[in-house]
Amino acid sequence: MGYFLFRRTSGFILTLLSVSLVVFLVMNILPGDPTLSILGIESTEDARAVLRARLGLDAPLAERYVTWVFHALQGDFGDSYTHGVPVISLIVERLPMTLSLALSGMALTVLLALVLGITAASYHKRPGDWGVMLLSQLGIAVPAFWLSMLLVLLFAVKLRWLPPGGFPGWDDPRAAVRALILPTVALAVVQSAVLARVTRSSALEVMRLDFVRTARASGFSRRRILWGHVLPNALIPIITIVGLQFAGLVTGTIVIENVFYLPGLGRLLFQSISNRDFLTVQALVMMFAAIVVTANFLVDIAYVLIDPRLKARSR
Amino acid sequence: MIEVQNLSVRVGDTRAVRRVNLSIGAGERLGVVGESGSGKTMLALALMGMVPDGLTVDGVIRIDGNDLSRASETTWAAYRAQKIAMIFQEPMSALNPLRRIGDIVAEPLLVHQGISRNDARQKVLALFDETGIPDANRRLQQYPHQLSGGQRQRVLIALALACDPSLLIADEPTTALDANIALRITDLLVRLSRERQMALLFISHDLSAVSRTTEDLLVMYGGDIVERGKTRHLLASPSHPYTSGLLSARPRIEQNAGPRRLPTIPGTVPSLFDLPPGCRFAGRCDRELPICRATIPQPAATVSGGFASCHLLNQPSQDQTGQAPR
Amino acid sequence: MRRGAIPANLMVGGILVAMVIGVAFISTFWTPYPYAELDIANKFHGPSSAHLLGTDQLGRDVVSQLMAAAGNSMTVAVLAVLIGCSIGTALGLLASAKGGWVEEAIMRLCDLGFAFPALLFAIMLAAALGPSLPNVVIAIAFINIPIFARVARASANQVWTREYVYAARASGLGNLAISRDHILPNIAAPIIVQATIEFAVAILTEAALSYLGLGAQPPSPSWGRMLSEAQTLMYLAPQLAIYPGLCIVTAVLGFGLLGDGLRDITDPRLSRQRRG
Ligand SMILES: Nc1ncnc2c1ncn2[C@@H]1O[C@H](COP(=O)(O)OP(=O)(O)OP(=O)(O)O)[C@@H](O)[C@H]1O
Ligand code: SF4
Ligand SMILES: [Mg+2]
Repeated sequence: MGYFLFRRTSGFILTLLSVSLVVFLVMNILPGDPTLSILGIESTEDARAVLRARLGLDAPLAERYVTWVFHALQGDFGDSYTHGVPVISLIVERLPMTLSLALSGMALTVLLALVLGITAASYHKRPGDWGVMLLSQLGIAVPAFWLSMLLVLLFAVKLRWLPPGGFPGWDDPRAAVRALILPTVALAVVQSAVLARVTRSSALEVMRLDFVRTARASGFSRRRILWGHVLPNALIPIITIVGLQFAGLVTGTIVIENVFYLPGLGRLLFQSISNRDFLTVQALVMMFAAIVVTANFLVDIAYVLIDPRLKARSR
Repeated sequence: MIEVQNLSVRVGDTRAVRRVNLSIGAGERLGVVGESGSGKTMLALALMGMVPDGLTVDGVIRIDGNDLSRASETTWAAYRAQKIAMIFQEPMSALNPLRRIGDIVAEPLLVHQGISRNDARQKVLALFDETGIPDANRRLQQYPHQLSGGQRQRVLIALALACDPSLLIADEPTTALDANIALRITDLLVRLSRERQMALLFISHDLSAVSRTTEDLLVMYGGDIVERGKTRHLLASPSHPYTSGLLSARPRIEQNAGPRRLPTIPGTVPSLFDLPPGCRFAGRCDRELPICRATIPQPAATVSGGFASCHLLNQPSQDQTGQAPR
Repeated sequence: MRRGAIPANLMVGGILVAMVIGVAFISTFWTPYPYAELDIANKFHGPSSAHLLGTDQLGRDVVSQLMAAAGNSMTVAVLAVLIGCSIGTALGLLASAKGGWVEEAIMRLCDLGFAFPALLFAIMLAAALGPSLPNVVIAIAFINIPIFARVARASANQVWTREYVYAARASGLGNLAISRDHILPNIAAPIIVQATIEFAVAILTEAALSYLGLGAQPPSPSWGRMLSEAQTLMYLAPQLAIYPGLCIVTAVLGFGLLGDGLRDITDPRLSRQRRG
């Protein structure tokens, strides 16, 4: 177990470093002078030079990268040009919004996917199965932002049941939850479409195994067999996809936040892109990538906790 | 206890099990032998109400007087484990790999008998003791992959016995095990059947295992029961050419622990879909008569005191002394 | 499934794809009106014989815009997938042919690509390069490289163990020549299947980027950008928020089904599983 953890952890750190390098390179060597875009074309060369020095852009690339990483490790991503405050304080301020959305989206995704996938598997080759598969095929094809708009059209514009966007903050929990419902659904429907298919095929695979027959011969109900015996054994591939989907979910929040005007990291990212606040953009892209890489790392570890056979092997 | 009339399992237009009649009473031990593909497992699954999707079952299955041939899955579920239990061919994969042995065996107790966890634990320990699983307390905490094949088969037996079924179906419980362990498992089954007055349906293609375990015997071929009788007499003086084939293909019967591999009769079991319309053994049979291919032979009394379905038995000219007890 | 019968997903997918490509093609030389033609006097018209789906907030013909947007969407997807697929497949073949540290290095680089969610990478590139459709093409192409490299390498590794490859090698052909003459033709099927699926993803990504303002810039039409404009008018003209979405779903569903169908008929392993 120790060696396994060590190997995975070092791989994780290496990936994080590589990701930071890619982010840094893309943001720094691609054409375009950030000071030019910040100050505008009419600005003087002198003014740009001053800003360049202030942003630390005149040092050699490698040195700048190392400084950036070291400062980032201490939580210092520099100051936001547009907001005039440290980038990290902007992130900390908006993180709860994004996390609430991502977690509620994940929870609903998994719930929907497991119910739909297991249902489909238990009705294999019957109408229930086809119905779920058709739904999921549709769910995959619907862009999340369009689904959001349809939900707003129906539940906010027509029925006026829920707010069309915005977030009142957690001080008023009732209003906060109401504001999260539509974004969560929009986020989860698309993601669960993929996961439901994985759940279904994984469950079908498990249902062919001998121990399922043993469970049936033990006189257990269909439901007990599906949820108690089949599902746990089908979880490994499901968890893999959940890990991958967390990536989709996190980037999904970027889009969804912009559809519903939710003041989270995704909205900040877009404001920063249009404000040419490139230090903030760089920090945010790194944040999102780090969240994804971390999720995948946790998935790797979760396998071992689920399957005692792997635990034995990983020792 | 269990009574079966005219039981057939239909696969499309043909049958994997054809008009089988049998009955087993409390404490009786019935064997079923036949080559691979002869329909033994299918017969057992039919008795459990568990034939694969897409196959249909005809005939009457009566358990304690109740006809289950048209029962729903829920009704069947109430009989499984509590009235009839079954252990399967493959002990390696028949246990949920993610659960501890103790939880696996306790589950039917908790579900069907609604007893407390603590009582279930005591019962599981007693079952482990009864089925000869040593070091029971430690086993409770172990996972299936930590056990040997023989131990797993014992766990499966303990699991099957948990709710005190009146009939235990053992489908080739020893095929995957090596010879010594197989012997102990068959002896265990006999002992359990005696002590609990539990009926046993023992399926095997291993004649020596069957002869040690059972009192009565059915010989299956191509979904048909081709011969039946008292195990001892039937094996001593087989009447059906297929039974003789099985016996002579067996290397040595004198030693109990002799080779236990598949007996081989020249030729192979034909696929369900190109069986001859008459006797299903026609084509492989070395004593085939002109009428065999077209006409289904009817059961007739045999010298061993049982019945066999073979046209030879109805031939008055046929010299039966060649089949006399050895 | 009957042998020889066309599976339903292949058929439905094929029809949808043919429709979308047909419309995209027609839009290159004919649309009912010039898509950018303003007619403020006739804004927010409902469907009529003059404007089949009505007009938008600037009086532009919706059908014409949808058609031209189909053209843009297909062009972006074709270019992006073609570039990503070519580079990725070449890398995968190279990795498989060379083995050793070359393979290791290429595959590690691909892993790195997988660490970035596609949309995030596209957003980052679009933010660095500036918002425009060509930059969207570059971003999506980039995302596709590791995907195709993986598929190509995995399939190629299987082909390398076949007898005719041994024969070719015995006849003195070099690794790269074998890759080109023997491996590539034999891994075409999985690559094409993957390309079809990635095509669907590319359409979705382009729509999302354009919706977010990082793709097509006005007046260049795009389903995603039409939706983002419609969003501000949701109370006034909700119908404008419907049509572009339906177009996206049709296109994505079409390519998705087509890809699934192609995989079903070309991958014996999967179809055997389904029969089992
Ligand atoms: N799901 C199924 N659908 C159709 N036919 C089946 C199915 N399962 C089994 N069969 C057929 O039923 C026949 C009987 O099979 P069965 O498994 O009962 O044989 P068996 O005597 O148990 O053999 P073995 O010694 O190999 O276990 C075989 O011809 C087999 O091909
Ligand atoms: S009926 Fe004919 S073919 Fe069948 S076993 Fe008897 S002799 Fe052989
Ligand atoms: Mg069998």
